[in-house]
Amino acid sequence: MLSKPDSALVIVGHGSTVNPDSATPTFAHADEIKRRGVFGEVVCAFWKEEPSLRQVLYTVESDDVYVVPNFISEGYFTQKVIPRELDVTGKVTFRRTRKIKYCEPVGNHPRMTELLLHRAAEVAPGISPRETSLLIIGHGTSLNENSGAAVKEQVQRIAARGDYAEVFGVFMEEEPFVTDWRKIASQPHIVAVPFFVSDGLHSYQDIPVLLGIEAEPTQAASKMDVFRRNPYRVAGRSLFYASAIGTEPLFADVILDQVAAFDSEFAA
Amino acid sequence: MTKTHSQIETLLAALLQRGVNRIGEILIRGEFELLHHADADRSDLQFFNNPEDAREIAKYDESGNFRPLKTAPNLRCGWKLVLRDLHELREALDCFYPAMPGVLFAHECSALEVVDLRETLNRQTGMYAVTKKISNKQANELIAGFCRSDNGCLKTILWRIDANTPVTSLPPCKFDPAANQLGQSVLAIPLLCHEACNLLVAAARNKVKSE
Ligand code: SF4
Repeated sequence: MLSKPDSALVIVGHGSTVNPDSATPTFAHADEIKRRGVFGEVVCAFWKEEPSLRQVLYTVESDDVYVVPNFISEGYFTQKVIPRELDVTGKVTFRRTRKIKYCEPVGNHPRMTELLLHRAAEVAPGISPRETSLLIIGHGTSLNENSGAAVKEQVQRIAARGDYAEVFGVFMEEEPFVTDWRKIASQPHIVAVPFFVSDGLHSYQDIPVLLGIEAEPTQAASKMDVFRRNPYRVAGRSLFYASAIGTEPLFADVILDQVAAFDSEFAA
Repeated sequence: MTKTHSQIETLLAALLQRGVNRIGEILIRGEFELLHHADADRSDLQFFNNPEDAREIAKYDESGNFRPLKTAPNLRCGWKLVLRDLHELREALDCFYPAMPGVLFAHECSALEVVDLRETLNRQTGMYAVTKKISNKQANELIAGFCRSDNGCLKTILWRIDANTPVTSLPPCKFDPAANQLGQSVLAIPLLCHEACNLLVAAARNKVKSE
């Protein structure tokens, strides 16, 4: 078991100035890791919220600092924005008495596949994967986030295991689009898991409309309602819609796994 | 695994001992009861006793709007948070006013690196790269509206526009860590802005694009 009482862990999220739920999973994972007492200090930092990336290193006192991006994929944020804002120059950066260790984003971890399968099974209890089309929903993008590539990689891995009758990656901004599921998915059951780090406007509003489970992007009285009304009957199938993969409590373990992976690669 | 003698916690304890028991809109009473300063005489406050509750209290303003900037002067009233020790106090303050205890500690140790606005804007890439184009005059106008303590932000600004250009559109007290940004005479633990926040950068983008 990982034990780092003299180290600090900084979990970096994107955050949002408009969506109150964006930072929630990042805080939840930090709270969970705190409870386990693995690190001397556990803090979060955000690009769009506080504490900011420019502030966060002032909030920890340990000289040994691990930084784990709570991002789905390697891209503009993990390669450019976070290093620049934290002023880290590589995998290991020495600053004054401090050693800052920049770990891989959570989405890169091999266990992500297991988490997606866990979430898919949880949202559709008692439904046979053999009669299910699994949809992994990604943003897919102009944003240089490689989120499309990350989804495609997961789809390949899950397909290779052969548990589900079919597995597709569908996207908001590239083909195949989320709306295309009716054309490509052939099974009586559909399980849709958004490969996002948090639930936001996409998972509460945009995706439900694209899937056809909501008529309009209206804010439900309780946002979580959208996940409680499973299964939906759409186009003659039963559709189970999961909340974003990043809300999965096992993400805390993946964050710790990325720290362990860093240590084994760079001999802590 | 509580670090009992964190230097940041020690600083907070020293400030409280000197009677500095206000931070932003919060009043700290005894060991340790936190409440909105405007609620000092109320007895009908909702009770909380977990430092993480502070995050929820600070999340929305009185009308239920999300508060992306936690130092905006719109912390809601009606709650009382009772904490067991200095460590919990520090955790709660880090939820109410993220990073502020640590930034203050760095400032006290002369380890806080203040970054002028130009440097922050020149560093931006992607959609914020355009903020480099803001003129000093536009910057002053923007800061006057966005950072003002009465309805913008309660932080004390430490940065300048650039090395030779101070911000001139806000009163001198906005730049004085000893001044209580609520305009009250009681001493307060300062909330320090050592570098323009992302919200100001985003607002600078809008300013440049709209003019
Ligand atoms: S730049 Fe600083 S003072 Fe201005 S709003 Fe942002 S945090 Fe407050």
